Amino acid sequence: MYKFDVIVIGGGHAGAEAAFSIDRAGLSCALITMDESKVGQMSCNPAIGGLGKSHIVREIDAMGGLMAIATDMSGIQYRTLNTRKGDAVQALRVQCDRDLYKKAVQKILNKTNIKIISEEVVDLIISKNSVLGVITKDKRYLSKKTILTTGTFLNGKMYTGRDVISGGRTGEQPSIPLSKKLYGLKLPMGRLKTGTPARIKLSSIDTSKMEDQPGDTPTPWMSISNPPKKHQTQLSCFITRTNKKTHEIIKNNIHLSAMYSGEIQGIGPRYCPSIEDKIFKFQNKDSHQIFIEPEGVKKDLVYPNGISTSLPKETQAEFIRSIKGMENSEITEYGYAVEYDFVDPRSLEKTLQLNSLSNLYLAGQINGTTGYEEAAAQGLIAGINASNNIKKQEEFILDRSESYIGVMLDDLTSHGITEPYRMFTSRAEHRLLLSQNNAQQRLLMKARKIGMVDKETETKFLENERKYKDFVEQTLKKTKTNYFINKKNTKTKLNENKSLYKLLSRNDVNEKKLFKTNQTNEKHYQRAITEIKYSGYIAKQLREINKTKKQNNKKIPKNINYKEISGLSNEVREKLINNKPKTIGGANQIEGITPAALNLILIHIKKGELLKENA
Amino acid sequence: MSVVYALATPAAKSAICIFRVSGDGCFDDIAGLFGLDGFNPRTFYLVDMKNGERLVDRVGLILFKGPNSYTGEDSFEVYAHGSLGIMSLISDTFDSHGYSEAPPGEFTKRAFLNDKISLNEAESLSDLIDSTSSDEVFLSGSSLFGDLSNRLAEYSERVNLIRIRVEGEIDFSEEGEDFMDDGLLDDLQKVKEDFESFVSLCANKRDISQKKNILLVGPTNSGKSSIFNRLVGYERAIVTDRPGTTRDMISSEAFFETSVFSISDTAGMRKTDDVVEERGIEISLNQMSEADLVLGVFENYSEDMISFLEKTCGSNKFLSVQNKIDINKADVKKYDCCVSAKSGDGFKELRQEIASFFNETGVKNEKDFMVRDRHVKIFMSVTKNLEQAIQGLNNKKTLELVAEDLKNARSDLDELIGRKFSDSLLGDIFSSFCIGK
Repeated sequence: MYKFDVIVIGGGHAGAEAAFSIDRAGLSCALITMDESKVGQMSCNPAIGGLGKSHIVREIDAMGGLMAIATDMSGIQYRTLNTRKGDAVQALRVQCDRDLYKKAVQKILNKTNIKIISEEVVDLIISKNSVLGVITKDKRYLSKKTILTTGTFLNGKMYTGRDVISGGRTGEQPSIPLSKKLYGLKLPMGRLKTGTPARIKLSSIDTSKMEDQPGDTPTPWMSISNPPKKHQTQLSCFITRTNKKTHEIIKNNIHLSAMYSGEIQGIGPRYCPSIEDKIFKFQNKDSHQIFIEPEGVKKDLVYPNGISTSLPKETQAEFIRSIKGMENSEITEYGYAVEYDFVDPRSLEKTLQLNSLSNLYLAGQINGTTGYEEAAAQGLIAGINASNNIKKQEEFILDRSESYIGVMLDDLTSHGITEPYRMFTSRAEHRLLLSQNNAQQRLLMKARKIGMVDKETETKFLENERKYKDFVEQTLKKTKTNYFINKKNTKTKLNENKSLYKLLSRNDVNEKKLFKTNQTNEKHYQRAITEIKYSGYIAKQLREINKTKKQNNKKIPKNINYKEISGLSNEVREKLINNKPKTIGGANQIEGITPAALNLILIHIKKGELLKENA
Repeated sequence: MSVVYALATPAAKSAICIFRVSGDGCFDDIAGLFGLDGFNPRTFYLVDMKNGERLVDRVGLILFKGPNSYTGEDSFEVYAHGSLGIMSLISDTFDSHGYSEAPPGEFTKRAFLNDKISLNEAESLSDLIDSTSSDEVFLSGSSLFGDLSNRLAEYSERVNLIRIRVEGEIDFSEEGEDFMDDGLLDDLQKVKEDFESFVSLCANKRDISQKKNILLVGPTNSGKSSIFNRLVGYERAIVTDRPGTTRDMISSEAFFETSVFSISDTAGMRKTDDVVEERGIEISLNQMSEADLVLGVFENYSEDMISFLEKTCGSNKFLSVQNKIDINKADVKKYDCCVSAKSGDGFKELRQEIASFFNETGVKNEKDFMVRDRHVKIFMSVTKNLEQAIQGLNNKKTLELVAEDLKNARSDLDELIGRKFSDSLLGDIFSSFCIGK
């Protein structure tokens, strides 16, 4: 019999991050996976970050996680997206060497006390509604907490044309016994699908016929807290497009696609359609963009992003070879659609613990999300909460207004999903507060408090904050001028001397010419510009947040009789009676409670207060 | 909810008065109150209302079985004779049955709570009850029936459609899609223009509800009080044939030609040693500048005084009226209007003259919606946000701020429709509630 504080099942991005956080909390942890050489595997496109996602990676980084560091250990192209837009919605996307990323994750985990075990978990040990450990093919492992991060392995089926293979990833077996166990628990489940394109030999395509897309110079880092010393060799990505011929081939063979033959029931992501979907749903477009992503530094392989498909192999080859620069493509692996089960995340607490079964946490794609970043963030939160619970510390729940991770967990657990969930900046109502560049300011001290961040990182952060404050107070506020260069590059005279700080709030100031930066203050200057430009909007958002907090904190009297509140539907009334929310915010969390119902409760409470006053 | 009652008509002598009663269990007492053993809902009964053994009044009675009633609860309405004595007796009767008098807005609040009306409709109804002119009644009507809500929802949707494109450009800029073609700015400009013209079709309740003030002035004993009484419709001012009878100003409301007017009678103008009356004259001079229309009433023509009054009143808000044409000959060339307060001759013309004066200068019937201060404030915020978004696009401001402006414009609109959950919103509405009685 083996005993651990926490057992993590699965070695993907959620599992790795969960195990790493448990180790940082000083607890013993086992990571059980079917194949330890696959820990940290990128199973879809070899990129980390991007719009809405780099924000999550930086948040993980600010809380001591590994994803950003592994990204920097393997990054082969860094590109900042939305550069023509403001700071809050800019995002760093990093192409990674698929093998190096996996190795980086393994390297980081190997430096810890985490015990990595290559076995298949076939059963959970459950007693009195509590999970006490796991059973593999020949051993039993006991644990105080168990975190399940099994990705798409639940009843996974892969479709290529008419061929159907059971499994979650090419060449890997699905975990059938464990799935059966989970089905036996009668958790609410649903079915989703996603897809992947063929992989092609780099040497077989002609990138000179494609648009070259180099990375940023100078090359940035994903990790703010602890990037490595040196970048990997940097490569370009390439852009090409489908054409009329491509579309014709696909149209002629559509009946052979698994997705169009009616075999697949799962719901796919609308923001990531297969090439079949793109062509049939957007008939007016005669060309779609394809993004050629290199798979690695020394790898003769590319990932053609934008043409995921479940067409038969021959059709895949035919349409791919109709694309400019890809005429002689040598395909090493064909695209497929994968269909899998997920657990309705509304059956989870915000700590990611299951409502119905204590000591069991679920994280990652099993909860209906998609994306490495979303999975890793859930792993981190599940890990932190499992540790905190063992240590009898408070639940660790991030607010929507302080992090994208908070937005995601609130969305998942309150509203559930209708398609694979991925992050977008527009999901965050307080988007302007949540830049990828201020993740540390938002979260580092919070994570430090629970031991997720070490003293050294904290000191470095506080020192930088002090320097920034000095720069604003001593330089920007004290340097004064009676003229500035405007955006049209001409001089604007002022009636009186004004500080640079004041001038930066004007729309017509040419910021670059207002102040000459050097290497040490360049970042501070950029940050100050953003903070000043956003200040009016941010003040408004902060007011809103406070207002909502006040409302949410409004107490519901213990003796409230929901039957007395006319206008509530029976369904809503029943949910309120069963859940017994303590505050309006609590009632708001209950699924199916409408703003109108909340108003009725508020009016009822107010009336009760008025009656008391008059009595 | 508990049984409440309220007088639904003004607490003033009138032909009939109406009481409304609503609440769980309000039918329990109808046998004792009205001698009814059974009843059909929505049927008019003529019954004797009793307080114990004592007859209160012979009344009309309609009962409404919930949820098919205004409040959604069991309720009934009593139509009684409109004397103050009977009103007070009926109130006593309800009190003795343990019904409590409804606070302002209670009936509508209950209707709202019981899903009979939406938040916006509740507000609009308050306007309907308060409204003082038929224009206003019409305007209240159209917002009451969801028109205002529909229009606002339409703008909310249009703003949202633009917002979606901006958000698309932010979140999916790498997808090779063109979310923000040149049409976007035009569309946004069009939404703003349309919204502004929509706003111009909204009359603020505060403006429209201003009563039209008419001031009667003139030499002593010219018959101002007699004309006042004629216009108001009953004897409010003391009329004698002694000069200087009216010393303080008296005002009353008069309703004719579809509008409510506030008419004030003043002390006559003459040299006097009486201190009290001098003060009255001073007041009437002050009032002239504030009145919307000044009627100068004369028995004998005085060019001096007429030109003095015209000058004092400023602009074109002075009408000269010749009174006592039953004694003297009407002189239509010198006066705007000639009447006899004694016989009533010429009053039809005078009323028309007054009404058309206000029709030309006052709020005309070209507004579609009546709104309250709260709406106006939010309209301004919507326009400001849209304007900011347009400027942002023009000045190539960063797009996430444009998105924020659009979001704010939309959430303002949604707040108006009542789709957003806001405690202070409810508080504002219920504190300015004055209806349901």
